[in-house]
Amino acid sequence: MKTTGIAVIGAGPAGIAAALAASEAGAAVTLIDENPSVGGQLRWRIAPLRGLGDGLDGLPACQAVERLEERLAAADVSVLTNAVAWGLFEDGSLAVATPGGGFLLQAEKIVVATGSVDLALPFPGWTLPGVLTARAAQILLHLHRVLPGRRVAVLGEGLDAAELVTDLETAGAEVVLRAADPAQVVVSGEGRVEWVTANGDRREADAVVIALGRQPDPELALQAQVDLGYSARLGCHLPLRSALLETSRPGLYVAGEAAGAADLAESFAEGRLAGLAAAGAATERIAATQEALARARSPERSVEVDRLRRGTRDRAQVEADASAPWRSWGRAVTAEGRDNSLGRVALCRCEQVTIGEVRQSIEEGALTINDIKRRTRAGMGLCQGIFCTRAMALLLHAERGIPLSEIVPMTERPPARPIPLVSLVEIEE
Amino acid sequence: MDQAHRNQAGDLRVLHHPVLGDLPESRPVQITVDGQPLLAREGETIAAALLAHGILVCRTMPGGREPRGVFCALGRCADCLMTVDGEPNVRACLTPVREGQVVWTQAGLGRWEGRAG
Repeated sequence: MKTTGIAVIGAGPAGIAAALAASEAGAAVTLIDENPSVGGQLRWRIAPLRGLGDGLDGLPACQAVERLEERLAAADVSVLTNAVAWGLFEDGSLAVATPGGGFLLQAEKIVVATGSVDLALPFPGWTLPGVLTARAAQILLHLHRVLPGRRVAVLGEGLDAAELVTDLETAGAEVVLRAADPAQVVVSGEGRVEWVTANGDRREADAVVIALGRQPDPELALQAQVDLGYSARLGCHLPLRSALLETSRPGLYVAGEAAGAADLAESFAEGRLAGLAAAGAATERIAATQEALARARSPERSVEVDRLRRGTRDRAQVEADASAPWRSWGRAVTAEGRDNSLGRVALCRCEQVTIGEVRQSIEEGALTINDIKRRTRAGMGLCQGIFCTRAMALLLHAERGIPLSEIVPMTERPPARPIPLVSLVEIEE
Repeated sequence: MDQAHRNQAGDLRVLHHPVLGDLPESRPVQITVDGQPLLAREGETIAAALLAHGILVCRTMPGGREPRGVFCALGRCADCLMTVDGEPNVRACLTPVREGQVVWTQAGLGRWEGRAG
């Protein structure tokens, strides 16, 4: 069994900030990321940074990564890339798989900074090659310098969609169609995207980018079964945290988009606070960092953070903008009979379970996401439910009237990622 | 097509980018995809090399043969599973190209070829 002072999972903006802060405060830090290099979303975004301070503002995000790497090296943080932290067990040990083999890591404190994934909702044609998430498009455009298509449709109307339109046009692609509501979109083609129809507008296209926003991905914290609260802004559950970002499991912190942070500046500030708190830094230093974090948050987000604080009783919510893309999807899908064209669309991409099959399972008595999963296999595939559980929750809400705040995530168990069996057989204890 | 996006390796590459600058020179890497030679760039993933050449399909699903391609590009969705050097279920979006690599569009769950599984 390897040991470390503080294990930080995820080397995006929050994770890097946490690792640097904890190291500054004197802790021995291990920073773990599944990608070949650190930076997380900073690696594939080119919008200029704002509000991070630390000499980073004004740089395109991808160019800040090099500076942060230098700081990590100077701070003597042990950085493990290509390393998948796939399990967090009851005794506090973390299971890590690397190309060189697997091992267990015992850390005194753990900071989960695993970020978010793109929010995706099913529509006819969404499994066709050429339909991809906003991040996939940014990774192709900026890391690999490849256009996902020449004529591209963009779904969504929030900040992510606006950034994507700029990114696509900057790289030389043409944005031929924009649509806000995924329930109104139909993509068709012979084995790949050829046509996109939305709101009565039909356009030829060779790619469709889903830019509906993000959803937090605190999977290891869910494995640890920390207490959760509902965010009406995001339409999903988030870990409850103390003022110092510690969850209901002592010594386990969650920071950044994994806990609902709204932007890079907030993620960076949260990471810093979690790192200092985990390292037991001096009170004045923590207080100053808390003030900086408060400044990085919007008033709306500050209210949400207060309501999702451990020990707070008042969980009344600020309602999200009614136009949030996930709001109307369930109602639109359930407005018609089960065998309409939407009923034949895959809800679960991995196990190819249709919207109609999921609706039928609800009609037959499924009341939770776990119920739907057991009855249909939806959510049991390689993506581990990351791209389908939101749609399940929205259908439960639309069909049964169960408040979204009462629809909890499905039970998360190791492994958090597909891992080769050999990394279990050869695990170093 | 706009000259700015054309080069020898494929016509979907972004050769000039206002923020990122010119695409740096890179060593060409020869791979084989479904029996056809394909020139990739050193350091890129199989998925990027395929998309640069307009190849979108990575695999077909078990039963029904529905085609799938890159969806998340982050190794999360597993839509881009391909058979690489005889090993099935390799995520094309995470796996770098290598000289002489043999890549096949995967049918269903795939099967082991070459070395023992």
